[in-house]
Amino acid sequence: MINPYLPLPVKVQKITIENETKDLKTFDLEFCDKNDAEWFKYTCGQFAELSLLGIGEVPIGIASSPMDNRILQFTVKRYPIGVVSSTLHNLSEGDTIGIRGPFGNGFPMKDFEGSNLAIIGGGFALTTLRSLTKYIIHEKNRSRFGEITIMVAARDPGEMLYKYDLEEWSKREDIKLIRTIDREVDGWTGKVGFAAPVLKEISPSSGNAYAIVCGPPIMIKTCIAVLLELGFKASQIFNSLEMRMKCGIGKCGRCNIGSKYVCKDGPVFSYTQLEKLPQEY
Amino acid sequence: MMKEIETRIKEVVKDLFTQNKIDLFIGYSKGSLPLTSSPCFITKSEDIEKLVWNSFCSNNLAVYLPRIFNPQPRKKEKIELPRIGILAKGCDARSIVVLIKEHQIARDNVFILGIVCQGMGDRKKIRNDIEITGAEEKNGRITIVDENKKEIELKREELLSDCCIECQHATPPIHDILIESGNQRPAAPKGGGRDFEKKSIEDRWNLFQEEISKCIRCYACRQACPNCYCRECFADQTKPRWIGVTDHISDVMFYQIGRIFHQAGRCVDCGACVRACPMGIDLRVFTHKLVRDAKELFDYEAGVFLEEGLLLATFKPEDKQEFISEP
Amino acid sequence: MIEEKIIKKNRLNAMLQELSKEYSIYIPAGENGDFRFCELRDTNDELVFWDYRNTRISPKEILFPHSEILYEFSRDESHQFSISQNNDDQRKMKNVILGIRPCDARAIGFLDRVFIGEPNERFVDPYYLKRRIHTIIISLACNRPQISCFCTSLNGRPDGEEGADIIAFDIGEEILLKTVTEKGKEFIKESSKWLGNVKKSDIDKKNKIFKESAKRINSRVSVEKVKEKLDDSFEADFWNEIHRKCLGCGICTFLCSTCHCFDITDETSADRGKRIKCWDSCMYPLFTLHASGHNPRPNYKERMRQRIMHKFNYCPENFKELFCVGCGRCIRNCPVNLDIREVINQVSQLK
Repeated sequence: MINPYLPLPVKVQKITIENETKDLKTFDLEFCDKNDAEWFKYTCGQFAELSLLGIGEVPIGIASSPMDNRILQFTVKRYPIGVVSSTLHNLSEGDTIGIRGPFGNGFPMKDFEGSNLAIIGGGFALTTLRSLTKYIIHEKNRSRFGEITIMVAARDPGEMLYKYDLEEWSKREDIKLIRTIDREVDGWTGKVGFAAPVLKEISPSSGNAYAIVCGPPIMIKTCIAVLLELGFKASQIFNSLEMRMKCGIGKCGRCNIGSKYVCKDGPVFSYTQLEKLPQEY
Repeated sequence: MMKEIETRIKEVVKDLFTQNKIDLFIGYSKGSLPLTSSPCFITKSEDIEKLVWNSFCSNNLAVYLPRIFNPQPRKKEKIELPRIGILAKGCDARSIVVLIKEHQIARDNVFILGIVCQGMGDRKKIRNDIEITGAEEKNGRITIVDENKKEIELKREELLSDCCIECQHATPPIHDILIESGNQRPAAPKGGGRDFEKKSIEDRWNLFQEEISKCIRCYACRQACPNCYCRECFADQTKPRWIGVTDHISDVMFYQIGRIFHQAGRCVDCGACVRACPMGIDLRVFTHKLVRDAKELFDYEAGVFLEEGLLLATFKPEDKQEFISEP
Repeated sequence: MIEEKIIKKNRLNAMLQELSKEYSIYIPAGENGDFRFCELRDTNDELVFWDYRNTRISPKEILFPHSEILYEFSRDESHQFSISQNNDDQRKMKNVILGIRPCDARAIGFLDRVFIGEPNERFVDPYYLKRRIHTIIISLACNRPQISCFCTSLNGRPDGEEGADIIAFDIGEEILLKTVTEKGKEFIKESSKWLGNVKKSDIDKKNKIFKESAKRINSRVSVEKVKEKLDDSFEADFWNEIHRKCLGCGICTFLCSTCHCFDITDETSADRGKRIKCWDSCMYPLFTLHASGHNPRPNYKERMRQRIMHKFNYCPENFKELFCVGCGRCIRNCPVNLDIREVINQVSQLK
C-alpha cells in the first residue's frame, strides 16, 4: 500500500529568483530515485506538498509541464510568518528536500482540447497556468488546442513571473500574449492597467472557448465579472484555489470550502461549482 | 433569596435598555442540564426574561470582554465600541479590574452590575456515576433527582466550588450598581489548601506531572480564562515554535507551566480553568500557589484595587527575592 | 447467519487472559463513573465496566490517537534525510476493543469512511487502516443512557449494531454475545471453548432489558430537515447569535467520537526528528490561517458554523450520513453549556 504521508527525496537542481522583491523563487527539483520520477506522474493544475523534514510542508502548484521530463518546478513565495516558505528560500542548490503528491484534480485537459483558451494570471498565481501553457504549446500537443490568449498581470515589470518564458511566448505566432502592469513605468511596452479592464479591452471571444483565471481574490472576482459580460458561461470559466492544507488527501479536514476539499476535489473548480459553494476562501 | 436577586437583575437590565445605556448585556440563562447555567447575551429587552440567577452561575463572564473590545482579526476601520452591561460576581469583577489595568477593556463602555456572591456550586462535586436528571434549589438546599427518580437533598455548601469555599472577595471590588445578597456566607477559612505547599519539591513535581498527564491540549483552560487574551498564545506560535503540539507529557507540561506562570500576580482564583477542564485536572492546586505567593510575598491580590499598579510591573525596594533561589 | 453465544462474567477473565497473548485488549477503565479506554494490563483485574455509562473521551483515540508518530527521520545540513517508520506501537498486531458503547461503535464506522473510504479510494490513511483491519470491536449494548444521550434521534439505538463486529449484552450474571460481521463470527469461533449456547430465556431477558433502556432515552431532536435547512443557511443571521457564548476551546471536537480533523507537525532535536499526526480542531483560529496572514475563518462565528456544517451538512453530502451519533459528550463537557441539541433545534426551525 502507498503511504501518502511519506515524502520522496528530491534534489534542488537550480534556484531562480523570479522578481525584484526577491520573495519569489523557482525551484527545479529532480528525484533522487529514478523510479520515483517514473511513479510521480502529474497533470497540469495539480499540486504537491514540498516537505522539509523537521520544518513542515507547504502545498504548491506544479509549475513545470508534464512534458518536461525529470525536472519538477515550483515557484514559492516567501511569507514572513511562513516557516516552510522561509526555510525553502534559504536552501542552496544541491540540497535535498521531500515531495508528496501529486495531489488534486488538475485542469480538465480533455475538455479543453479543441477549444480556444483564455489564460489569465495575476501576481504570482501564474504557476500552474505556466504548466498549462507549456503543456499546450508543446509540439506534440499544440494541434489539439485552438487559439491561445494569455494575459499576465503584475504590479510592476519587476514582479512579473517567468520573464524568460514570456519572452519566448511573445515571439510565437500561435499565442496572443498580453502583459499588463498596474502603473505606468518608463520603457514599458505592454499594457497599463488592472487585469479586469485590460481583459475587457482585449475581449477574448467566448465562442468555443474556456477561460482559466488564477490570481488574487479581487482579481479573480473582477475578471470573472468581465468574462460573464463577454458571454462566457459559468461552465466555461475555471479557477484554481488555495487553502491552508496539511494532508493533501482529503482527510485532515481543514481545506474545505463547503463540502468540497480543495486538496482532493480541487484545486481546480469551474465557476459553476464555485457558484454553489459558500464564499469562505 | 435567589429569586429576589433574579428579579432585581431583570429590573436593572430593563432600566439599562430603556434608558439606552447599553447595547448588550451579558448574564446567565437557564442551562440545558440540571445544575448548570449558561452565559447569555441579551441585545433587546424582550429577551430579559431569559436571565436567571442561581447557585450555578459560575462562568466568569469577563472572559467575553477582551474579544468584544479587541476583535480578531483586527479591523482596519475604527470600530464603534459597544456599551456592555455585565453581571459580575466578586471574581468576575476582579477579572474586570485586571483587564482594565492591563488596558484590554474600555471602562467607560462597561456597566458593571455587581452581585455579592454566595459562592457557586460545581456539578462535578457530585459523583460522575450519579445521573442527575433533575434539580431544584430552595432555601439554601439543593434537591437532585437521579435516574431512578430518587431524591437526594444536599446543602448548598456541599456543592460549592473549592475556589468559592476559600473566596475572600464575595463583594465585587468594582461595580456601577451592587445587588446585596442578604445573609452573608460564613467567613471563608483562610489559608486552606496548603497541602501542596507542604510537600517536598519532588512530591510537588510528581503531583504536577501526574495531574497534568491527563491533559489533552483542548485549551479549554486557556479559553475560559479572562486573563488569557493574548493575540497569539505562546503555545500556538510557530515562528519560533516554543512547544510541540502532542499530548506527550513533556509538551503538555511545557504548555501548562507556561500558561500557569502567565497567571502570576494576575490570577483572581475564579476557578474558570478548573471548571472548564474536561479531564478533571485540578489546575487550581497550581494557580492557587501563585495566588498565595503573591499575597504572602508581596501582599498583593489581583483585581482588588483598580488604582494599585500591576504586581509584575511594580518594583518596590522591599520586595522579597528569596523565591528566586528558594522556590 | 447470526450467532449468539453466552459467557458467564466470572469466566471472562480467563478468556481475556488467553486472548491477551495474541491481542491488545482495550477496555473502559476508571472509577467513580469516570472512565477512559485503556489497554488491559493485568487480566486478573476485576472488570468493572459492566454498568459504566460511557467514557469521558471517545474510544476513537484507540484507532486515531491524539498524537501519533508517522515516521522518524534524520537529516544533515543540506537537508539530506532518511526516514524510518516506527512500528513499536504495533507490539501486538491485533486489538480487541471491548465494552465500547453502540453510539461510539457506530462512530468508528464513520471514521472508516473518512480514513479508509470506498474500495477504490485514491488515498487511504495507512496508519488508521493498519490498526483498523486488525481490530475486533465488541460493543456493549447500552443499559445506562444519560439524560444528555440522544442516539435515538440519529438513527442509533442503545442496542444498535452498526460499527461493531460483535455486540455484547449484559443480562446479569452472564454476557450474551451476538455476532454482527464475518470478522466477529470468526472471532467467536476461535473463542468457542469459553462460550455456551443461548437459551430462550436469555434472549427474553436481553430483549426486556434493552427495550427498557431505549425508553430511558427521552432526549429527542429533530434532524430530518437539518441537512436541507443548512443547504440554504450559510449566510443566515442565526450564526451571528449562536456562537456568542462559545469560548473557542477544543472540548467538543476532541471528545467527539466522529470529529477527525488533524494536524501534521514536525518535532526535532538537532538532526533527528519525528513527523507527527495529532488532533486538531476547527474551533481554533490557526486551523485555517494561511501563511499570507489571510484566514477564511477568522472569527468564532465562522468556526462554529464550520463545525455544525461539517457534521450536519458537508458530511451528509459526502458520506450520506450525519456525523453525530448523539453520544452527548459535547453537551456534558461544554464549559458554557452550548448544547448541540439546541443548535440542531434552532437550525430545524430556520425559515
